[in-house]
Amino acid sequence: MNTFDKMILPYLAMAVLLAVTVYAASASFRQKPDDSRLNWLFPDGTSRSFRISVGILTAALTVGLVGWFSVSARKSTRLSSRFLIPEGYIGRVRIEFEVSAAPALPVEVGQYVLKIPSNGVLKTSSPEQYGWANDSYYYYSAAGAHQLSDSDPHRLVWGKINGEATGSSGKTKYEEFFVGTKSQFMDQSGAGGKATP
Amino acid sequence: MLPFVLYFTCAVVTGFHIYTLLALAVYGAPFNPLELLALLGSLALMIAAYMSLFRPYAAARVALIAALALWSFYAPAIARMVRTRIGTSTSTLSIGIYQASGIGS
Repeated sequence: MNTFDKMILPYLAMAVLLAVTVYAASASFRQKPDDSRLNWLFPDGTSRSFRISVGILTAALTVGLVGWFSVSARKSTRLSSRFLIPEGYIGRVRIEFEVSAAPALPVEVGQYVLKIPSNGVLKTSSPEQYGWANDSYYYYSAAGAHQLSDSDPHRLVWGKINGEATGSSGKTKYEEFFVGTKSQFMDQSGAGGKATP
Repeated sequence: MLPFVLYFTCAVVTGFHIYTLLALAVYGAPFNPLELLALLGSLALMIAAYMSLFRPYAAARVALIAALALWSFYAPAIARMVRTRIGTSTSTLSIGIYQASGIGS
């Protein structure tokens, strides 16, 4: 939270609340107005033009808020990804994005398909996608593919991270995760994965 | 005009403040049921703001009830803050009280 939220906002809220309480109590319990000098303080109503202005501003504010929420909701989702991992592969999988010489990720049935090679490192020219999506993980072989669980109790996908590394070829955006059992994940010491067909 | 501006400003400021506190519940922070009551008070204050354009006296009564709902959250927070400032607690404890009261969160 920033300084405004931490320090100013609570005190501002209490100050305005105090003013409202005093005003509302005065307006609620005062006698019928006999002093026209206080009409600005306790008006009997508002002008038609002010009501129209408030109505227009409220409508504009509502449209703005709805538009903002719908745009931000659309931005927070992405196409889901289907990770195809070589059958029996155990270890860390790494996907490097925006690699100029590499092919783009294919899209099939509304999903990005990431076919991981046997060395566990996939390079693509496609940009990294951000937002919410339900990704799926498969072991593939010549015989077909079967899904890996990425949730307990038979979880085989661990420690998914996104990062950015700077090397001799410039900045590289990457995503990594580990494929294996929990004990294999705990035992792994950061070395690359090994294919065990 | 004055009652509308006053009620509307108060509804927005208190509503936003309580919303920021309640939003922490998403991360597992415990929340006080009084925060929900106070948020309801902010909503009632917003209604009072629009009512004040047509029926200022009725709006004032609604605003007063809404303000009482809001004080149910802010009054204990102020009391604890004052007690802490007087020096009955250590500085470490005072931070905890501020956060529990929603004053400094």
